[in-house]
Amino acid sequence: MSARRVGREALKGFITGLMEDGRTVWGPQEFQGSVRFRPLKKNGTPVLDVPNATLSPKEVVFPPSEWMFLFSTDPGREDAFVLKEVPQEGPEQVILGIRPCDARAFQILDRVFLEQGAHEDPYYRSKRDRTLLIGLGCNTPCSTCFCHWTGGGPFHTEGLDVLMTDLGDVYLLEPVTERGRALLDALQLDEAGADEVERGKHIAEEARASMGEAKDPRRIKEKDLMALFGSPFWERAHEACVKCGVCTYLCPTCSCFDIQDEVRGACGFRGRNWDTCMFALTTLHASGHNPRPTGKERFRQRFMHKLKYFQDDFGDVMCVGCGRCVQYCPANIDIREIIEALSA
Amino acid sequence: MDTRVERIRSEAKRLLESGEVDLVIGFRKGSIPMVSRPWFVRTVEDTELLHWDGFCSLNLCNYLTKRKEKVAVVAKGCDTRSLVGHIQENQIQREQVLVLGVPCEGMLDRRALQERAEGTEILEVVESDGRVEIRGRGLERSFPRQEVLQHCCRICRHRNPVLHDRLLSAEVEEHQVERYEDVEEIDSQSPEERWAYFQNMLSPCIRCYACRNVCPHCYCTECFVDCSRPQWVGKSLDLNDVFTFHLFRAFHMAGRCTDCGSCERACPVGIPLRVLTRKLEKVVSERWGFEAGTDLEQLPPLATYRPDDPQDFIK
Amino acid sequence: MEQQNAQDWEPKILAFLCNWCSYAGADLAGVSRLQYPPNIRIIRIPCSGRMNPAFIAAALRNGVDGVLVSGCHPGDCHYLSGNYFARRKFTVFKELLEFMGVEEGRVHFSWVSAAEGEKFAQVVQEVTEAVKALGPARHYVKEKIEVC
Repeated sequence: MSARRVGREALKGFITGLMEDGRTVWGPQEFQGSVRFRPLKKNGTPVLDVPNATLSPKEVVFPPSEWMFLFSTDPGREDAFVLKEVPQEGPEQVILGIRPCDARAFQILDRVFLEQGAHEDPYYRSKRDRTLLIGLGCNTPCSTCFCHWTGGGPFHTEGLDVLMTDLGDVYLLEPVTERGRALLDALQLDEAGADEVERGKHIAEEARASMGEAKDPRRIKEKDLMALFGSPFWERAHEACVKCGVCTYLCPTCSCFDIQDEVRGACGFRGRNWDTCMFALTTLHASGHNPRPTGKERFRQRFMHKLKYFQDDFGDVMCVGCGRCVQYCPANIDIREIIEALSA
Repeated sequence: MDTRVERIRSEAKRLLESGEVDLVIGFRKGSIPMVSRPWFVRTVEDTELLHWDGFCSLNLCNYLTKRKEKVAVVAKGCDTRSLVGHIQENQIQREQVLVLGVPCEGMLDRRALQERAEGTEILEVVESDGRVEIRGRGLERSFPRQEVLQHCCRICRHRNPVLHDRLLSAEVEEHQVERYEDVEEIDSQSPEERWAYFQNMLSPCIRCYACRNVCPHCYCTECFVDCSRPQWVGKSLDLNDVFTFHLFRAFHMAGRCTDCGSCERACPVGIPLRVLTRKLEKVVSERWGFEAGTDLEQLPPLATYRPDDPQDFIK
Repeated sequence: MEQQNAQDWEPKILAFLCNWCSYAGADLAGVSRLQYPPNIRIIRIPCSGRMNPAFIAAALRNGVDGVLVSGCHPGDCHYLSGNYFARRKFTVFKELLEFMGVEEGRVHFSWVSAAEGEKFAQVVQEVTEAVKALGPARHYVKEKIEVC
């Protein structure tokens, strides 16, 4: 027997249990006008009944800004201007309520940050290694959700350690990995009944069935790169785009960053901040030359990277179908239409 | 169908056929409910997709900056005010633009509607006779249009285009509404409270710059946040830098912002940015009697001066 | 940095003075041996119209306790209208800065001519007192990194 159950009213107790041993528990919470993954306070409860958080929990393992090195600018010090690594230790952590799409996105981030031979990213590695994912399946996927196009689904367990299903009165908890199983065992939760597991299965099937026909972005892999790159399609597709960073900053799979040094007083830091291919500054050379001079090239880069280059390099699209860019784009640029156009 | 949609399509068609313009910028229906997409029409066939509803709120003047061709633009009151600003600031020539003015009854607030749906996703919105109906799975509710307007539209004083070559429907009644209630409330607080208020308000900012990029008046070739010599603003999410970005973004809007609300709508994390720009709007109006984008002949307030300008704050 | 207790704390004030009037006014105050508080550090700018509000923000963020911007009297601008434009810009910027929570009394403006050595001394006196009354800069200072 492996599936466990937590009554809706016992969720607080479950979270308190997770927090034992000094674990940080991240959960979706109201943050003024948005829902964001934030560390839960003692006795705090996550907002689990919203479709999905405004920002994906990628900020837990890949924060918008983080310090990598510190240095002194005091010429009197022996170590002036010597970069010293910022310690990367931290508490064990759990992301509670991460959706299956966002969990799959972690696997895409893993490929970029961890699986490129010798070039492992220590900042990402440290956070990723101490993070467990307790995912919440999506009983009612949104009309903007298209995880099933990209190889996922509302109850896909890929990337998760534990899958949670909302049965109404009860949350069903099914371990996916050994780490997940160990966590559940340690918490000594009640075992779920066979009928509850059955109900969970039924909910998952219904959710998947509600999502309609899937288009397959993997067909884009077969297309000729230069033909796509040079296609007149981009001329018009980008016109409405205002080239802000909403789509990329909200995207659970976008991983670009910019490294900056900053001095404050006699100390400084070298840090990295999220960056986006939508900004002209991203590719601006010191000479003044910009290889992506206009909005068209920047727009094309975003979609070609996600749908073509990444597939060519890693075999998968760099999109998990969470639908955030579709929902929040101020100009209604819809990646689903781009996928259809490129795979046509 | 909304008669305005027919008028927009037929005007666009005529203008393109006659060669009077090379491009018509309007809206088409969005791919999801409650958003309309800017639509760039160069052929007669494409005019068939032109659309108008309560979600055509993006300020289309944003797409006019430094255009070379002759262009027609579908424009509400606020869009035309931004256009006046654009013409004054030489971003486009008056002769180049043909304004298809649409008197506006206010645009609908997507967030407010979603809140009223109480957790159910809205799949369809139907507007009719001053009412708005939202529909979703097991959801069907309707409200008076007035109740679900965007805040900027509720306090709008220029719903009719201030500048137009064609008017696509009858003018609507203008209201002299109070615009600064929230600004005054903040004004009445102590500096400590105001500081805390804005620190809190700006703390969710992720610096995606959507507020900047959707704004027609933000057209600098190099934005001050992108300058590296000197670097005025740090690039991280340090709240001090975030604050500085918003301070200067708002400052650059003084006497230029037409309160179209694009910045606030575009903000993915829901920061009520307009309180800053409206504070400046109030200052500019009280000090110099200026209202942005209402008069082609009147110079923007920071591009001119009067020798006897008030200077009570100068020693 | 030395620990200073509240009593002997002295504010640091950055003064941006226009080349043609206020800077000469400061010079006159000096050669006339007028006494004024030593709290100001002067940066000479070509005209008050050159003043970018970003300078004020940069000063405050880097930890100065007060800012003074001074130029020629209206009508006396060496470039005819620089100070008129500056006046409008300052009006808006001061209002916004204070609206967002920076205390009134941190940022000051004045017109001081080349002949007004006494006025310059008096302005510096007033500004220093006002900034002293507010205490050290609190809100808009960017936190320094202490350990590295």
